Order: sequence, then C-alpha cells, then structure tokens
Amino acid sequence: MHVGETISVIAAFGLPYKIRPLRFKWSGKLLEVKEVTYFWTEKEGQKNIYHFSVSDGRALYELSFDAVALLWRLETLEA
Amino acid sequence: MSRIIICADMDAFFASVEQKVNPRLRGKPIGVIGSGARTVITTASYEARKFGVRTGMNVWEARKACPHLILVVANNARYTFTCRGLEEIYRRFTPDMEIYSVDEAFLDVTTTHHLFGGPEGIGRSIKKEVKERFGIACTVGIGPNILLAKLASDIGKPDGLRWIKPEEAEGVLKDLPVNELWGIGSKITERLAVLGIRTCGELGRTPAGLLRTKFGIYGEALKAMGMGICTRLVQREPGDAKSIGHSMTLPRDIGEMREIGAYLLKLSEMVGRRARMHRYMGRKISLVIRYADFETFSRQTTLPDLTNDTHVIYDAVLRVMDGVRLRDRVRLLGVCLSDLTNDPCQMPLIEEERKRSSILRAMDSMNDKYGEFALAWGSYITQERDAGVISPSWRPSGVKSVELK
Repeated sequence: MHVGETISVIAAFGLPYKIRPLRFKWSGKLLEVKEVTYFWTEKEGQKNIYHFSVSDGRALYELSFDAVALLWRLETLEA
Repeated sequence: MSRIIICADMDAFFASVEQKVNPRLRGKPIGVIGSGARTVITTASYEARKFGVRTGMNVWEARKACPHLILVVANNARYTFTCRGLEEIYRRFTPDMEIYSVDEAFLDVTTTHHLFGGPEGIGRSIKKEVKERFGIACTVGIGPNILLAKLASDIGKPDGLRWIKPEEAEGVLKDLPVNELWGIGSKITERLAVLGIRTCGELGRTPAGLLRTKFGIYGEALKAMGMGICTRLVQREPGDAKSIGHSMTLPRDIGEMREIGAYLLKLSEMVGRRARMHRYMGRKISLVIRYADFETFSRQTTLPDLTNDTHVIYDAVLRVMDGVRLRDRVRLLGVCLSDLTNDPCQMPLIEEERKRSSILRAMDSMNDKYGEFALAWGSYITQERDAGVISPSWRPSGVKSVELK
C-alpha cells in the first residue's frame, strides 16, 4: 500500500551500517524496527534518497531518508 | 599464457532480492514482473522454476504452471544499486573486470589470483561477501576463457563454485548439447541439428570447411566454441557507445497517431537527453515498432547533420513514421540515435537553433537537479511514469547507465 507520508524516526549513525532506522512513529503508534531487510539508494536529480525496507515483526515498511531536506518518509506498507 | 577467468552470476537475481526484502516471500514461488499492466515474468525464484515458470513467460502461462505463484512488481532501483555494490566487491580482486549485465560479471584474475588464495579462493570470497552484504546467493564459474567460465557458472548453479580446467574441457563438452553454450541460440541449434550436430563434441570435430559453407565466417567461431576455445578478452573499458536508444512497451495497444506521437516525443527526449549528457551526437535515427501480435520491424533515416536535439530527432522520427502504414495497433515503440560521434560542442550558427539549444540546456539542467521529467514537454506530461525494464545493455556507469525506478 502506498503511503507517502513524512514521519518521525529515531536512527543510529555509525559503522557498519552508516545509518540505520531504529524506531518510527506512524498513525499514533511507535513502531520498532526489528529487521532492516534491504537498503538501496535512488537518485532524484542531484539528491540521493536512502531507502530502507524494514520489518517490525508484523508488517513490512519502506522508509526513505532525504539527506538534503533531512526528512524521513514512510513510502509503503505491507501488512 | 593461460588465462584464468571468473564468471560471477547472481542466482535468480531480481527474485532473490525481492525475497531478501520481504521475509514472507522467502521459500515461496515468486515471479518478478514489470510495472506495466501487461507483462511477462522477468525472473522466477527457484521455487517457482520447479513448477516450470520461466523468464519470458507471460503471466497467465506462469499462473497455469504454478497456480500459487506470487507476482512481485520489479523495483529496478534496488537491482541497479545492488549491481553497483557488486562492482565494488569485484574490484577488490582485479582491475580487469567487465560488468556484462546487471547480474553477471567477468573478472580476469590471471595476474591477481595468487594474492587471494587462488581462483577458488576468490570465488569463495566473492560468494561470502555478496551473501554478507546483500543476503543473496551467487554462482562463480572459473575457466581458462570467458566461454568456459560462463559454462562453469551455468553448470554450477545455484549457489555453486565450479572450475573447468583446460584439461577438463574436452570431457565436459563431449556430450554437452550445443545450445548449452553461450552464444548458441535456438536458430543456430536447429541449423546444426540439420547437419547432425547435437553436442559440443560433435561440433568441435566437424570440419571447419563444412561449417564455413553453412555459416560463413561464423562457422570457424562455432567450431572453436565446440572445442572450448574463445579468444574474447574481458573488456575493461566499455568503449564508445555505438548507439543510444530507448523503447517502451505501451500500457495498452494504440493506433491513434496523436497518442503515438506523444510517446515518440518522450522517447526522442530520452534519447536526446542521454546523448547530450554524455556528449554524443548522431546522424542516423531509427524507429522501432512492435505490433500487438509481436511482429517487430524498424525503419531508419539518415540526417545531413549531426544532432542530439530532441526536436530534430522527433521530427526525423515523425518523417519515418509518415512512411509507415500501420496494419495493427502498436504495442511497443523505440527510438534510436546511431552513427555517433563525440559532440564537438560548437555553438549553432542559426539564431533559432541557438535558442532551442539554450532551452534544451535549461531543461537538462532542471532535470539534472530535480529528477527525470521534473520538466517535460506538455504532449507527454500526462503519461504514466513507466519504470521500464533493465535493458541487457545496462551498465553501472557511462552512457549505458540509465536511472530506473
């Protein structure tokens, strides 16, 4: 399901992942990232958008991070 | 000197990535499809292959073979990003590397293998690093040339490591069907069968003169292939582009010229933009049309002057189109610019051309900054953004590198 909403995320920076989302808030709930299943980047013009496929153990979410605008978005949700 | 070539080939690449992304797909039969409404299977997982699902099958055939097949829409950005990451892994073992396709690469480790525990040491390291970094499996084939390295990889699948040493080649090829060899497709296989040649051993023993008679100069190459001989080297540098083209399978079959024209403008812009980005100009414009019944043909025209101007390309394509009497609705359109040369970067002499050149530079600048089609011609602005499929000629860098969604 496409969502496309800006969200709040708690993330960790450092090796080996460089950046890793840990928790995020959506629809009034605080969701914990149990597994980052995949990571990739996509170009939007000159910007690199960092994409994370994450699971909270129940559903699969795609989060994206725009490092220029410093914004996290919930792109899709698969329950 | 005998070479040592590695072929690294990802196993069911797109499907493996999607199963890594979504834990619920792991161990299940899945088929990756394009984003369009009508589409074919681009990759099937090994679980789906057990039911006979194959690349190129259309969706209803695939579902017939495997009723519980799960269809997953491709995410090309994931695969191209992963390919760039694979390139980084390969480069650790040798600078002599060729990304052959988005999921396959050749490495010449003749002069470097001794630094990494031999060819098998490199093969094991590649498999381990790919698994650790991306969570997917690959097969590594090793051979004295690209042909045998690729064959070793094909034989070793899935998740394998196989080395065909020079002294083993004859034994491996003896009873191997000819169509198992890279470069021998169904048409050549049929023509060889007419001559009574069904195995690589038989092909290698066939007199060169007979093969030359039937296949021309290619006959000599076929005999060499049957003997496991291949002189093609790993191509480190891609070389200058010979053509720049784009094609798209349309969301539905169309016959109306206004609609066809809008798609042709979009394709002309894609071709022109890529040519401008990589500083190429061309003279030959080709138009490819595929009908709903899959009959495909192309028509060309040659311009008097070099160009990478979208509208010059578009006008040429429309002139070619004018000479075509469509007998059916159109399923796919393609535009290609060839007879390329490096852009001499000369300022156009005519005022109108200078203005158009400025407009194109401004559009390119905006799209560089904000993304493809951030600024677009009005005629195709309402078209759906089709993610497209990864072309076999796609490469991680250079003129063949296209950003895909």
